[in-house]
Amino acid sequence: MSGAAKHVQPDRALHRSKTGQYAISIDVGGTFTDFVLFDLDLGKAVAFHKVLTTPQEPARAVITGWRELLQMARIAPEEIDYAVHSTTLITNAIVERRGVKTALITTCGFRDVLEIGIEQLYSIYDLFAPYPLPLIPRHLRYEISERMSRDGAVIELLDEPAVRALVDELAAGGVEAIAVSLIHAYRNSEHERRIRQIIEETHPEITVSLSSQVAPLIGEYERTSTVAADAYVKPLLRRYLSDLLVQLHDEGFHRPFFLVLSSGGITSASAAMAFPIRLLESGPAAGAFTASFYGSLCGHRNVLSLDMGGTTAKACLVEDGKPDVARMLEADRVHRFMPGSGLPIMVPAIDLIETGAGGGSIAHINDLGLINVGPQSAGSDPGPASYGLGGQHPTVTDANVLLGYLDPAYFLGGRMMLDREHAQEAVKTLVADPLNLSVTEAAWGIHSIVNENMARAARTHIIERNRDPRHLALVAFGGAGPAHALAVARILGISWVIVPLGAGVASAVGALAAPMTLPLVRSYITRLKQCDWDTVQQLYTSMKADAYRSLEIETASAEPILLHAAADMRFAGQYHEIQVDLPPVEDLGTQIIDQMERRFHDRYISVYGRAPSGLEIEVLNWHLVAEVPRIGLKIIAESPDGTGLAIAVKGVRDVYFAQPVPGYCPCPVYDRYRLSTGLTFSGPCIIEEPEATTVIPPSNTVTIDQYRNIVVNLGTEGDER
Amino acid sequence: MTVKASFDLISLEIMWSRLVGISDDMWTTVLRTAVSTIIGAAQDFGCEILDADGASVAHSNRSMPSFNVIMPNVVRATIAKFSKDQMRSGDVYLTNDPWICAGHLDDIAAITPVFHGKRLVAFTASIAHSSSIGGSLSNRTARDIYEEGLQIPIVKLYDAGERNETTLGFIRDNVRMPEMVLTDIEAQITANALGAQRVVSFLEEYDLPDLADLAATIQEHSERAMRAAIADVPDGVYESEVWADGLDTPVHLRCRITIDGDQLAVDFDGSDPQQSRGGINCTLTYTRAHTVYPLKCLLSPTVPANEGTYRPITVHAPLGSILNCAPPVSVRSRPRTGWHLHPLIFLALHRALPERVQAGNGLMQVFNVYGQEQDGSFYNAHFFLAGGRGASQGRDGIGRNAFPSSARNVAVEDFEIRVPVLIRRRALQPESAGDGQWRGAYGHHLEVSTLPDYTRPVSFFIDPDRMRFPPRGMNGGNDAPYTGIVLNGKSLSIDDVASGQITLISPSDRLEIHVPGGASYGLPDKRDPRMIAEDVRSGLRSSQSRERRPDKRV
Repeated sequence: MSGAAKHVQPDRALHRSKTGQYAISIDVGGTFTDFVLFDLDLGKAVAFHKVLTTPQEPARAVITGWRELLQMARIAPEEIDYAVHSTTLITNAIVERRGVKTALITTCGFRDVLEIGIEQLYSIYDLFAPYPLPLIPRHLRYEISERMSRDGAVIELLDEPAVRALVDELAAGGVEAIAVSLIHAYRNSEHERRIRQIIEETHPEITVSLSSQVAPLIGEYERTSTVAADAYVKPLLRRYLSDLLVQLHDEGFHRPFFLVLSSGGITSASAAMAFPIRLLESGPAAGAFTASFYGSLCGHRNVLSLDMGGTTAKACLVEDGKPDVARMLEADRVHRFMPGSGLPIMVPAIDLIETGAGGGSIAHINDLGLINVGPQSAGSDPGPASYGLGGQHPTVTDANVLLGYLDPAYFLGGRMMLDREHAQEAVKTLVADPLNLSVTEAAWGIHSIVNENMARAARTHIIERNRDPRHLALVAFGGAGPAHALAVARILGISWVIVPLGAGVASAVGALAAPMTLPLVRSYITRLKQCDWDTVQQLYTSMKADAYRSLEIETASAEPILLHAAADMRFAGQYHEIQVDLPPVEDLGTQIIDQMERRFHDRYISVYGRAPSGLEIEVLNWHLVAEVPRIGLKIIAESPDGTGLAIAVKGVRDVYFAQPVPGYCPCPVYDRYRLSTGLTFSGPCIIEEPEATTVIPPSNTVTIDQYRNIVVNLGTEGDER
Repeated sequence: MTVKASFDLISLEIMWSRLVGISDDMWTTVLRTAVSTIIGAAQDFGCEILDADGASVAHSNRSMPSFNVIMPNVVRATIAKFSKDQMRSGDVYLTNDPWICAGHLDDIAAITPVFHGKRLVAFTASIAHSSSIGGSLSNRTARDIYEEGLQIPIVKLYDAGERNETTLGFIRDNVRMPEMVLTDIEAQITANALGAQRVVSFLEEYDLPDLADLAATIQEHSERAMRAAIADVPDGVYESEVWADGLDTPVHLRCRITIDGDQLAVDFDGSDPQQSRGGINCTLTYTRAHTVYPLKCLLSPTVPANEGTYRPITVHAPLGSILNCAPPVSVRSRPRTGWHLHPLIFLALHRALPERVQAGNGLMQVFNVYGQEQDGSFYNAHFFLAGGRGASQGRDGIGRNAFPSSARNVAVEDFEIRVPVLIRRRALQPESAGDGQWRGAYGHHLEVSTLPDYTRPVSFFIDPDRMRFPPRGMNGGNDAPYTGIVLNGKSLSIDDVASGQITLISPSDRLEIHVPGGASYGLPDKRDPRMIAEDVRSGLRSSQSRERRPDKRV
């Protein structure tokens, strides 16, 4: 949309007004909370940190880690210019059904919209492919008399006394959040807004989400699903964030605090709290920016991002340096992460695939007597068996300990001891013995299967986008990513693997590189030729007001904002739209009809190859993306310091590889922080940094590039087809 | 004889997936460029890539299952009629012949030969349910196929890129709301062209001269998987019979499945003869599709399907029977018979595969609203309502969907903006699943009227199922209820809806449709009390145990 950008005040940018030298990025995952301290003047990350997530009270781990990080780096809170936060709290709350008691108020006759869904056989040969349970069960879904017509005219008045009585009843029943989704509310939101007013008047302690605000789009199932999810997590996020902000304030931090949206942009804490569902894929979105950032740094514009944490792995295709943004995503896919098996959430999101493959993924034996790994995860509490916190199930981390990939004494840089005996016991009892395998064979099985799982998910994602994985570079990060990256790359036939410095927490670097944007949308369905441009101007005025409110609250009020307008258009009668960039907002009017028609045609032909003639054009949704320009994150190259490989050697340990001959062999273990720029050396070896361990199998050659990234060329195998 | 190129397993998996991916792109293109409710919203269509001999290689994951099986038949008939050496790049062939294509005139196939250089290397094909094909508005009254609309023999609609305006004119003048129909056909052709272009880039990318060796390898893999799955079922003869509603009288269907090593034969001998009225006859292509599809689900659900999948299976039905009707009988309502083939097969294989079959399915019901506004313009849209799925050993019915179709339902809001109708209720129907140890999924309750201030009558064209024979329970599980059609509070019988048309005269008129849920599996008193409590809490089951209506069997 850059062509249509309107630069309001080009000379001012966010960080020109900076008061501190540092930025902090915090990523709260299901298992770990990661920190990166970035020196904005030096152009490099100066400290990394990782602590266990505290799921019951996530702010606790953030504050603990924050203090430790500042202490480690010897800086004061006043030196921090701003903080960026990404999190998987929302996703996890939905997947684990840990949201608050939420009720739905809907139009009479439509209580079951959430449960009926789209009724599609999404896996046509699978007689048993299940559907996700609705977030709001039937006994908490209520109907109210009211009805709008397709034109937004009131057919039946809202029964306000009934609403009052219902809200009293819900409050008495302990409902904490209410989602409101009325038929045709995308067209006329009056009744939804009146219901919110009544709730605010009578029970202000209950949070309210309106479908006409969260996802003002036609299609009652998708809209209701989105608003239900928003309501379900809103009190959780509000409690968490307000609590966290107060505590950070007490720590002496008074600067802007941003959150990463699913769409990849960052926004203020208050904007995030208004629509928490936009944070659904916050963590993974930050990860996609990490991959694009390091890929570009190493000269690869087309990369596969592989972010493997404790609970899941996320793969994302980055093309031409940019991850793609989809207009919706599915939360909680209940059947092998298949499209159609999840809850549709109509918010813009980085287009990625997630699969239940993490360090904590539990290995078990299925009905056919085969080893399965995941999607269940041991999380951080109790965690893998080797954490010694009471976990009995064998996990990927346990297998990696037994194979020698992880040093039990150097987990999280030695701050946490892993217990090899526990790992051994769990793998032996629950996998090896029942299948008559040795413990090593079982551990290798677990490790290989999780690699296959990730490779399959990534391949599907890439192929759905009509690309061949073998023409991409893999950027691997996350606590578990570097231990699996080379194996996954080999399965996919990928030639180049990049493991950024601080790989274990690198996802948090992406949040620092993300643009500060807020996507907004309004629905106004009209034939292009009959469009009432005053209505359009009003929509944009209201969206601009929203944007300014959201983005400026915590930035200086005169920050420059770039506005990109776009519209969803289609031939009249079609059910699907394509998005077309619009000229600057103030130019929108009758005079641009020809231009819009032309842009729509061009885009249509570029997508589908040909366009029908003689059909009228319809416009449905009007988008506005508001962006506050930021200075791009810079990393400064280093020159070799002349030290050799020898000083990086920490020791030697026995590590298992299946090639060239299956078995353990003694491998050098290197300290990643002492590997100097420009070094080249061969596997097999292990490269340790406190937050992650990179496993280099035999016959691979490693280069440490000028940014101290690990770069591995897997050789000709992947280059040829 | 040339030696077939071999593919290592990694390359094979990637290339195979990419062909499926290309057919998915075709599917998305049809979906996104079509303008009718039945295609653009309900997704009643499929897309496939076939080799140069018309054997299927890959279909979209989202394709209508029966269409996937039928497309090779259409392409082979096209090759037979037009001959490969006469085909040129830019040709597009079209047909809706029910005996070649999908069993009724509404389903139109578009076939595009794919050329790599000068060589014909593949076909891309799609079949989609047209929003109109002319003929009678009612499905249930036609006495022969001539009343059912326009017959399109296999024609060359595009000749080396040039459109045949005469053919197009015939279509335009014989269908309702022709722009909608023609735009949807254009959507199919656009998708085929996009698929063709992607197949060619695929061949270039992998430096393959054609698709032949890869197709053969893929088909062999699927065939091997199916043969292994059949071999796992004990040899023997498995028989069953079911009843379907029929029109004036019920329809009796029989099947005998013979499993011999890695081969499976289905014989429908003994099923009723073809009927002279009402379009409930199945052509053999359609019968075969609705036979091999449920078999694939039972036997080899995880391997992608193609020509090879179905080689080990033969299907026979006597010519002149309701499952192998002869022209020119009427066929439009063939799902009223064909959708009873999967219960027939499940019942036959119940003993051999007890953990894989499912109890009776509520079955999807579709109605169509067509008419003219005051200003002379027309409206036409289809509404889809799924039935509940049957329960199975160890689990409740998985929800509602259109099985054995893969259509999705139509959003109420999308439907209402196209027709002058108000959907007043679309909700789950309490007590609509049979009781049993494992319960079927609940069915639907729909209530509609015309818009409150609407002064014209509006006609609904319906074609209900399950009015005489409810979804059947298994292993002691109860049947689900019958379909209910209620007009202004009065329940209609199957004879009351014989015309297939219900007209709402004034905005105070109400039409209700109750679509049954799924039948149950296992004895009701074996149901876990906690699950009963959950059913009661949902409000979909009353707290007292109820007296079930007795099964009505012929």
